[in-house]
Amino acid sequence: MPGPTDSEAAALAGLRSLADLLHYRATVQPDDRAYLVLSDRGNAERAITFGALAGAAEALARRIAARSEPGDRALLLCPTGIDFMIGFFGCMLAGVVAVPIMLPRRTGARDASVAIAADCTPRLAIAPASVVGARGTELAERFGSSRIEWLSVEETEEAPEIPPKPAAQHDLAFLQYTSGSTAAPKGVMVSHANLLANLDMIRRACGNTRESTYVSWVPLYHDMGLITSALQTLYVGALCVFLAPVAFVQRPLVWLRAISDYRAAVAGGPNFAFDLCVERSRPDQLNGIDLSCWKIAFNSAEPIRAETLRRFARHFARSGFSAAALYPAYGMAEATVMATAGRPGGGAAIREFSRDGLARRRAVPPRDAADAQVLVGSGKAIAPGRVAIVDPETGRPLEPGRIGEVWVAGPHVARGYWRNGAATATTFGARLADPPRDGEGSGWLRSGDLGFLDSSGELFIAGRIKDVVIIRGINHYPQDIEDTVQRCHPALRPHGGAAFAIEGGDEAEGLVILQEVERTERHRIAPDEIAARIRAAVVGAHDIMPFEIVLLRPGSLPLTTSGKIQRGLSRQLWQTGALDRL
Amino acid sequence: MSRPVVSEADIRVWCLDYLGRNFADASLAGDPDASFAELGLDSVHAAHFIVELEEWLGVELDPELIYEHPTVADLARHVFARHFAGDSGDARPD
Repeated sequence: MPGPTDSEAAALAGLRSLADLLHYRATVQPDDRAYLVLSDRGNAERAITFGALAGAAEALARRIAARSEPGDRALLLCPTGIDFMIGFFGCMLAGVVAVPIMLPRRTGARDASVAIAADCTPRLAIAPASVVGARGTELAERFGSSRIEWLSVEETEEAPEIPPKPAAQHDLAFLQYTSGSTAAPKGVMVSHANLLANLDMIRRACGNTRESTYVSWVPLYHDMGLITSALQTLYVGALCVFLAPVAFVQRPLVWLRAISDYRAAVAGGPNFAFDLCVERSRPDQLNGIDLSCWKIAFNSAEPIRAETLRRFARHFARSGFSAAALYPAYGMAEATVMATAGRPGGGAAIREFSRDGLARRRAVPPRDAADAQVLVGSGKAIAPGRVAIVDPETGRPLEPGRIGEVWVAGPHVARGYWRNGAATATTFGARLADPPRDGEGSGWLRSGDLGFLDSSGELFIAGRIKDVVIIRGINHYPQDIEDTVQRCHPALRPHGGAAFAIEGGDEAEGLVILQEVERTERHRIAPDEIAARIRAAVVGAHDIMPFEIVLLRPGSLPLTTSGKIQRGLSRQLWQTGALDRL
Repeated sequence: MSRPVVSEADIRVWCLDYLGRNFADASLAGDPDASFAELGLDSVHAAHFIVELEEWLGVELDPELIYEHPTVADLARHVFARHFAGDSGDARPD
């Protein structure tokens, strides 16, 4: 029997841009709430309907259009909330490319925002009036460009009559800067077609409808906050309830209570969020929380730990949470956001494999308990997207159970990196040597992650080739951290350090810093003082508390033939305790 | 529930004790002039620290406070002056 959902699916399939999407929602459900913002203690503070959102975005779009050409970039510096969404859709309606970035901390030393502004050469910067007023001058100085015009989200002038020009399907919608180092950031070029394709994949994978209320605390400059949550609810016509990221970190139970109060069906975050909920809640605080409405608890953007999932399900079972709601997923900004996902109500695939086998790049059952390594499946490729496991040396697809690089193809794979042809060719232009089917040889995205598929097509991530440290869902690049360390004290050797991630089975990812001390300084320095200085520098620049800082004699770290530190080998030396510590 | 009457020194002692239990670093333990950054407090650990302090004191504190008052001595001075300086005996402002 054809119902409203069928006609809705047909309407969604006909959309060409995010502007079309917003107009559609404002037409079919103008008075339904699109977004609701909670205070840090969980009280409803501000809401906006689809109709009002379209009105506010349209007014902003006219002001944007009066100051820019379609295709120009606009930095979006709004905290998580309604202003962000108005700013984002203002750009969409004006055909301007949105560039969401984290608002730099006032006291923050170095961050990526300066290099991002230099890379994408924005015409505009859009922020709430409070930010423009209080920080406009300081931020303009930080970006070092007087060519950026600041625009506040709130209407402070008559909207000009110039009608904005709508974007076409393959025009860029926004740039997502989560890849590349601080010094050389890479902006993923996400088109309207990419976004709509991935939003539809997420809709079908989750079975989302207008009733699929979300509660999200993930920052909107993060693809999981923006696309998986805030744009997905708009796509399906559901309500997204926002909580500030810092409010969640301080009191994770505010998130859970909001899920209960608003009878949310979908809510999630990176793995650490689930640990935080358990670690920072006492049984007596759970009174009145009923999580039986929560159908999809998505978990992605950092390695997913079996122990985290088990502990969370156990801890919140008394609040009505069902382990069947656990919903691991996998993706990356280069594929818009989501590439694989679980099945609603299917729970997480938690399996044991042989540790030795995994080291030999084969997924086989463990010999005994000591050999068992637990891995969590990330779900299956969401059609029409595809996932292949590939030998990174030969480009040949590997059979199930063999570990190789995870490659992704489909309409959600982005167009490349902004003005970076070399990186685009390396990452986006991969070709399969022996494609299983004709026409599937090209257009593959290399993820840099290692993994395997089981016989049912479930993807298991089992390490990574790329040098990246993922802490709380944020990608950090070792060269940036090493650079921060070496700049913080003259006794620390330039190019004499290694920063890497350690993952200890069920431990969350941690950052280890190895650093050589100059020969002449070795007897003059106080190692404790230097370690404190390094900690302060790394916390200040990267917001990471290092797990361990090790100071070494010069020449302790292994070099490549070209004289660079070998991070992988350095990590092995650290793990085996073979380093000559100061 | 009434709020405890605290002194600046009480706040300092509580903070040093909390940090000592959670961020033990032999060289900095007990130093009220060591910065939170030197102790390794990232934004998540800082947020938790402030929440615990809030709950102990029974007053609301801005999670960004440690960036404006980056040492235990600074923070205790600020929090005391802002929330408790008028307190004496049973006279407790809300």
